[in-house]
Amino acid sequence: MLFKKLLIKLALFGLVWAVVSVLPLSAFVDSADEIIKKVEYNLNGKTAVVELTMVVKTKRTERTMKMESYSIGNNKSFIKILYPGKDKGITFLKVDNSMWQYVPRIEKTIKIPASMMLQSWMGSDFSNDDLVKESSISEDYTKKLLEETDEEYRVELLPTEDAAVVWGKIIMAVSKMYYLPTTVQYFDEDDMLIRELAYTDIKPFGDRFYPTRWLMLPKEPQKAANKTIIEISNAVFDAEVDESYFTKRALKRYSK
Amino acid sequence: MFRLTGKIAWVSLARRRTRSVLVVLMIAVSLWGLLFMEGIYDGMVEQMINNAIRSDSGHISLFGGGYRLDPDLSRQVVDVAAVDDFLAQDSRVLSYVKRLKQDGLVATAHYSRGAAIFGVDLEVEERHGRLAGYLYQGEFSFGRRARGAIIGFKLADKLQVRIGSKIILSAQDRHSDVSAAPLKVTGILKTNNMAFDENAVFIADKKARQLLAMDEGVSQVAVILHDEAQIPGLQQELRRRFPHLEILRWDELYPALMQSRVMMEGFNLVTSLLIFCVAALGVFGVMLVSVLERLREFGIMLAIGTRFSQIRNIIFAESFFLGFIGFGLGALIGWGTLYYFMIYGLDLSMFGDAFDEFGMDAVTYAIIRPSYFVTALVAVTMATFLSVLVPLWVLKKAKPIEAINKN
Amino acid sequence: MLFKLALRNITAHKKRSSVTALLTAIMTALLVFSSAWIDGSHDTMIQSAVEIYPGYLQITGKEFRANPSYDHLIFDAAAIEQELAQNNDIASFGARFESFVLFSADEKAVGGMLTGIEPEKEVHLSRLSSSLKKGEYLSADDTNQVYIGHELAKRLKLGVGDEVAFVGSGADYSFAADNLKVKGIFQTGLFDFDANSAFLAKGYFDRIMVAENYATHFIVLPKRPQQAEELAAAIADNIGPQYQSASWNQTMAGLVKAMKLDSIFSYITLGIIFIVIFFVIMIYTFLAVFARIREIGILRAIGTTPKQILALLLLESSLLALISVVIGGLIGGAFAYYFHHNPIVFAGMEEQFKQYGLAASAMPTAFMPLVILRDMVVMFGLSVLSTLYPILKVNGFRPVEAIHHV
Repeated sequence: MLFKKLLIKLALFGLVWAVVSVLPLSAFVDSADEIIKKVEYNLNGKTAVVELTMVVKTKRTERTMKMESYSIGNNKSFIKILYPGKDKGITFLKVDNSMWQYVPRIEKTIKIPASMMLQSWMGSDFSNDDLVKESSISEDYTKKLLEETDEEYRVELLPTEDAAVVWGKIIMAVSKMYYLPTTVQYFDEDDMLIRELAYTDIKPFGDRFYPTRWLMLPKEPQKAANKTIIEISNAVFDAEVDESYFTKRALKRYSK
Repeated sequence: MFRLTGKIAWVSLARRRTRSVLVVLMIAVSLWGLLFMEGIYDGMVEQMINNAIRSDSGHISLFGGGYRLDPDLSRQVVDVAAVDDFLAQDSRVLSYVKRLKQDGLVATAHYSRGAAIFGVDLEVEERHGRLAGYLYQGEFSFGRRARGAIIGFKLADKLQVRIGSKIILSAQDRHSDVSAAPLKVTGILKTNNMAFDENAVFIADKKARQLLAMDEGVSQVAVILHDEAQIPGLQQELRRRFPHLEILRWDELYPALMQSRVMMEGFNLVTSLLIFCVAALGVFGVMLVSVLERLREFGIMLAIGTRFSQIRNIIFAESFFLGFIGFGLGALIGWGTLYYFMIYGLDLSMFGDAFDEFGMDAVTYAIIRPSYFVTALVAVTMATFLSVLVPLWVLKKAKPIEAINKN
Repeated sequence: MLFKLALRNITAHKKRSSVTALLTAIMTALLVFSSAWIDGSHDTMIQSAVEIYPGYLQITGKEFRANPSYDHLIFDAAAIEQELAQNNDIASFGARFESFVLFSADEKAVGGMLTGIEPEKEVHLSRLSSSLKKGEYLSADDTNQVYIGHELAKRLKLGVGDEVAFVGSGADYSFAADNLKVKGIFQTGLFDFDANSAFLAKGYFDRIMVAENYATHFIVLPKRPQQAEELAAAIADNIGPQYQSASWNQTMAGLVKAMKLDSIFSYITLGIIFIVIFFVIMIYTFLAVFARIREIGILRAIGTTPKQILALLLLESSLLALISVVIGGLIGGAFAYYFHHNPIVFAGMEEQFKQYGLAASAMPTAFMPLVILRDMVVMFGLSVLSTLYPILKVNGFRPVEAIHHV
């Protein structure tokens, strides 16, 4: 009886193996997958508390903001604006696919409606949607290793059929030394480059390395003069983060 | 007797051939113009109404209570089964469709736009409103795995997408969370229902339910009837049966279209009156002159014992001959012209793209209504009758017998 | 000599002449009035659409109309203001700053336009102040007082005196948010506009939106609105290439197209009526000429050449046409004039008009002497043309035939 079960198991296994081995490029898929997984882990960690400065440049203005961000994995994050004084205390909460903001001046919590999700976030070249969704690369894309040099991997990310992402494809260059991205290029469906994100200035934080300068360059002609720079001044990874940050009440409570 | 009167009338018309031909032509041409105008304008208005009915409102639409003021997923038609039961069995109902609707956002890598998302069953929509007839590009299908979307052509233009392009649809679901789904454009519609062409994104009902987390309920049930005359009756009955639903006729949903129809009727009436007044004036002139010319002739006839009523009949007959031949000719040419435009349509696209802008089809298919001909016949009869009254009065006053001695 | 003869012939056949003349006159009056009506209703529709809010002439940053972002604003409003103040063809002007924000009365957020206006200038530039429904219109030194569209207020469940918050981004992309108090509620009748718009005094608006000396638009009211196009070009020359100056012809291209479409249908209808009229006049001339066929035969018999007779008949018909066209023109003109000052009111047609973005139901006719003259010339040509066939036909008879014609 037992023997029979074992036999069935073996047979099933064999079948699975057969299927897997006829899939082409399985070796590449695996390693590209692994690269991205490592990259994601290195960028997000289990939890992260980050202090950052965001500089938004347009044709005519330059604006600097400082903020603090708390996050658990991909799904929950809380952001609080520290500078400029006028905006101090504005908080954002993102849980799964929804986003709220609290504005102390009007003492109100507002849920960002679907129609606003693709609007620019605080005038930057990131959209609200970027903040909400950027994190799920390992789930939303199929990965393919395009090229391997001494320093870098170039990985092509194609959105899966079910992924609600606007991009046609993403090409990510990953540093071999740190398993961190160096540049990420976003294309539309016609392979036209729309924007490019560059990660530089890798520094150690605790037991991990982290890029401290992120530069987002829109490539569409009408936004050619714009750029957004994020500089990380401090980061703590995998420390205990209080769950209470990720409730709607926190928006007001931690605003001060 | 009648035959003789007719014969005399005919002969005297034939004697003044050019004149008679001109009058007949005039009546024919005015009738032709009138028919053309009525048929084309009515066709245009009915086409606009038809577009709205087929693509959206049906003859009657059922919505959840309060939905029209605040179109929220919480205000749906929930007792779908009861509505289904009633509509499926009612003999007045030709067909009906159920749609799930929610406002949301369509986006590509470059653009994003507000959109009205419709979860539909294409097969039912096709049977109901022949929706496939509005297909402008692509195919009338959501593809094998229902990942397709059929969108309005103006929306496609604004997003700069084509068949095969990917779009991301996002909307607030029933729990007011933002939910999103990727879709491929499989078809582009041109309904010439402005609101639709600018906003509509049709997706598979199943897909919409998934996106909006709606297991049951529909936003709108659109009903098309066999006979327009039964609309108010059915509306009353539906209201009685489903008091908590909002049940509206197409003309309540598209009041501007109903007004167009009423305005067009008024416009047609005024124009036909005008044309027939002018035509009557023409007949009047000819008859007056022909009576005056023949004073002597009539005098002799009276002198040899013809009764005045006979002469009156001759004059009436002449006038009616002119009128009816003109009517026959005009009706025939008018019918032919309208028939041609009913089959092939009148292409007004040479006047530019203004039509698209205002929800009109550039190609208008004429309508032929029996009432056009009946009204015209009545009008021609009236015109020919009225236009000889004065000549007859003149004739009576002129004492034709005395006229014999003139000249 | 010929002229006298023609005149005598006309007066000799009083009845016939007067019927023909009356017919032509009525037709002329009809045409004149129809043109006045078509032009007038179109002007009114355009005028009301333009005057409700968009204005006859808009000045924006060069790329703003194609791509309305904060990168294409007017960054030196004072300079534009100075420029416009010097222009003698301008009746008044004012700046606006439009921005898309989220309004929120409770948890529910509603997207809409929040616009900073110069309240006392706006009185002349748009119908905002006269569309007041409840409460009060804005004044220049108002602070967080908002003037809100009726339907937007309804969506947010607001009455006069209630509070509403908004969140948006300032001109420098910074965060902008404030609590506003409803000062007044307006209703222009344009549903979309009333369901999406709210206004603040620009002084206060500029402070919270960091938009001092900025504007998205300048709205200009020309002294002569008909010449908005020329004025727009002239202003464009003066303010430099980083700005765009466009008249309503460009800013409201859709409406212009709709009016064109409407004209096409009107003229098709008129065209058909004219064909009928053409026939009627032809028939009347035919009758008139043939009644005189003996007379013509005699004239020929005593040696008048066909050319002279042709000239005589044509002169007669032209004279008659002239008289009738003048009478008709005067009658039509009088009607056009009367309804110009006493517009026809279409009660219950508002829905139809709103579809075109209009909120007017009183339609004055246009009274333009030049157009009336044009129509008179057209009618004159048409009526003379319609007499040609009968005249040529009668002139084709040989004298003997003509004398014996019954």
